[in-house]
Amino acid sequence: MNAIEAKTPKPVMGLYDRPMWESISARAMRLQRCRACSAWQYPPGPSCPQCLSCELEWTEVSGRGKILSWVVFHRQYLPAYPAPYNSIAVRLAEGPTMITNLEGAMPGADSIGRDVRLVYVTMPDGMVLPRFELAD
Amino acid sequence: MNHVQPDYARKHPSPRNKRAAAVVGVGHTDWVGDWARCRAGEQPTDSYGYGIRAFNNALKDAGISRDEVDGLIAGPTTAYERLGELTGINPRWGGQADAVLAVAQAVMAIEAGYAEVIALVYGNDQRSVGTQYGGPEAMGGGAFLSYVYHSPWGLTSQGALYALTLQSYKHARGFTEAEMGEVAVAQRGWSSMNPNAIMRKRISIEDYMASPFVCEPLHLFDYCLINDGGVALIIAEAERAKRMTERPVFIEGVGRFDLNRGATSLEPRIDDFYLPAQQAAAAQSYALSGLGPKDMDVLQVYDSFSVHVPLALEGYGYCGVGEAGKFLREQGIGPGQKQPVNTSGGHLSETYMQGWAHQIECVRQVRGECGERQVAEARHAHYTSDVAGKCFSIIYGR
Repeated sequence: MNAIEAKTPKPVMGLYDRPMWESISARAMRLQRCRACSAWQYPPGPSCPQCLSCELEWTEVSGRGKILSWVVFHRQYLPAYPAPYNSIAVRLAEGPTMITNLEGAMPGADSIGRDVRLVYVTMPDGMVLPRFELAD
Repeated sequence: MNHVQPDYARKHPSPRNKRAAAVVGVGHTDWVGDWARCRAGEQPTDSYGYGIRAFNNALKDAGISRDEVDGLIAGPTTAYERLGELTGINPRWGGQADAVLAVAQAVMAIEAGYAEVIALVYGNDQRSVGTQYGGPEAMGGGAFLSYVYHSPWGLTSQGALYALTLQSYKHARGFTEAEMGEVAVAQRGWSSMNPNAIMRKRISIEDYMASPFVCEPLHLFDYCLINDGGVALIIAEAERAKRMTERPVFIEGVGRFDLNRGATSLEPRIDDFYLPAQQAAAAQSYALSGLGPKDMDVLQVYDSFSVHVPLALEGYGYCGVGEAGKFLREQGIGPGQKQPVNTSGGHLSETYMQGWAHQIECVRQVRGECGERQVAEARHAHYTSDVAGKCFSIIYGR
């Protein structure tokens, strides 16, 4: 099976994940922000880990972030991801950390700390993924 | 998010736990023989069968019969009830636990009087049944959301989680690729003297540097084996242990602290390197035992990936924070060096028994039974693990 036919691995789709993935499909990613303490969270959930409030509001993110770490896979594990490919950890400007991919370049020795911005990438099977590209 | 420890992180367990229990018997399966059979396409037995074989060996080592056992703790891969059925044990204390929780629960149950002689039995047929530790059906996703949550971005393997950890650790501490290589090289040095080890060929730093990346920055030699096998321990109440054997190995102290905040996004690993939890667990076990890193003749570190070792050296106080690279280069953890670590070869080179075999290596080193790889006059052995942010420190002594 080649990457064109390959299905993007399915996201975990719990009750609170669905609104996030709908916002990603609409290319305007929203995460939950706590109405009580204003903290953002990722992944989505039923309550705020900072203050335990259950009053959360879906809010669009700025799309800004910084690279915390990166890896390059030299083996293929998933049909949609032929090697080599990368994954990066991004600290969003809003606070939470996301595991995602770097678009447009492979990460390297100077990547940690670089500013990145959110881009939406349509996978060969039509799924939209939030990824990041270098912003500086 | 986890940088500030709450006040309760500095509290210590009750001194009653100190030397409340001792290991009186250890056993394991034929890892080397079963490795060859599995590679030839055979299934020597299943997880229960490996557990029973190890249990028989532990009973023989303890010199007791099954009927003296009044407690049973099953490892994570075998159902407690079925293992109880197969071992024929109707216990007055039972449970299911991973390696560190099993030892801790045994000590607690014994100290509280719920049992006197507890069998801890682990068996795993992960190689012969092809257990997946990555990919679309990654094992453990039900218990650890981080194992499966990032799959749309192609990140599922456990190796990838630790590759992200190593990358940010290298950046934060100035830790180098060659320093990382010291771990795999040292552990092969140990395993070359261990007849129970699956991988016994010595390697050099040059071999390490030339080996392929799997998930960069982790090289092939940074990964644990995947093999079949079993491990069992018999842990008894201290006074009864002394009557049962002339060579009880006491559990001097157990400490624990967990980092769960931000766990799915891997923050305890890539931001904190587990450090605050390791320090809290270390402090508990050191206060309880009255011992410290300088007293430890051997250190056994849970090493699904080699990066656990530098994190542990810093977190459990064997060197200063940020000094693990220098420690590995200049002091060393291999045979004949400053601080023997993973003297069996560990998960990287001996056998991947998910922390269980490290317990019996602690016991055997303290008993002085390790043959060519024996650390001279070993009195105290320290086991540490930090799997998914659950940090444990267990100290064994004579």
